[in-house]
Amino acid sequence: MSTTPLKQPSCLSARGRLIRGIRLGFPIFLGYMPVGAAFGILARSWGFSPAQAIICSGTALAGAGQFIGLSLMKAGADVASVLVATTVVNLRYVLFGATLSPYVKTAPLSGQAALAFSVTDETFAVNMSDLRQGTGEVWSMAGVGAVAWSGWVLGTALGVFGSSLIGDPYRFGVEFAMPAMFTALLVAQAEDKRHIVIGLVAAVLTVVCALVLPGKWYIVTAAIGAATIGTVTYR
Amino acid sequence: MKSSYVWVVVIGMGLANYAVRLVPMALLARLELPKTVQRWLSFIPVSVMAALLVGEVLRPGGHWLPPLQNPYLFAALPTAFVYYKWRNFLGTTVVGVLFYLAFRTLLG
Repeated sequence: MSTTPLKQPSCLSARGRLIRGIRLGFPIFLGYMPVGAAFGILARSWGFSPAQAIICSGTALAGAGQFIGLSLMKAGADVASVLVATTVVNLRYVLFGATLSPYVKTAPLSGQAALAFSVTDETFAVNMSDLRQGTGEVWSMAGVGAVAWSGWVLGTALGVFGSSLIGDPYRFGVEFAMPAMFTALLVAQAEDKRHIVIGLVAAVLTVVCALVLPGKWYIVTAAIGAATIGTVTYR
Repeated sequence: MKSSYVWVVVIGMGLANYAVRLVPMALLARLELPKTVQRWLSFIPVSVMAALLVGEVLRPGGHWLPPLQNPYLFAALPTAFVYYKWRNFLGTTVVGVLFYLAFRTLLG
């Protein structure tokens, strides 16, 4: 069985579990900083004020959605079409929220509201892996969310104010931080033969879907397809 | 860009993105889901992670790379082994970035 280097949550206080989540989410922080900085630089150069760029990252936390929003705004799109486009891009969060819902049952609505705020591809992947290993719970999820949010907002602020100070973060290979993290998470998820098979099915579907579908639609399409095949196959 | 236009979009984007995240989580947390749906949801994490990884590795930044010239693909293999062997999450991420830098240099 997997041995986690971090302490089991049962012997930790709420604060200890929050800190455990922050440590767990630290790779996301590293991965978000440069992308957030890229958003900050772009938003600033296309007419956002520093406050607008940072507040946008802090409230939307929407990655690709924010970049798409920016380019539509630059093209002079009206408010409604910008909002529809950025939301549609992130509709996969509906699926993530549904998958996480059984694990947040014990939290009050205010807690669920706080946790929902920080759902992204990366926090979902980290939290889900942790929850399925039995070590995750709402406080560690809050820690993961907080550190991810901080990386995104801090990165945006760096891009807005100090793009000349950082230089090119890509010389440090930061673009592989997220793929490296996903690799570890996928290995952690491959807990039995069924999950390995369905992971492979999803990988094949991803290639097919990414070839024919625009944007990030391949994620949700491949995931729904593979999960459905899994449900039908393993009764 | 007009400042008022940017503000309306920024606020709207925040609200819309929050709604997609909160509504399904809060609604479904109040229901007991049927067994079939639960089983379906149990396959979602591994499927999503495979999709995220395959997308990021084969098509970084939205551009397909030829497999034999793809440092992402080469770096992912030893990274997977390191996690499998030592089960350390942050350590694997850092070592993975080092693998990537090595392959990026090798493949020019």
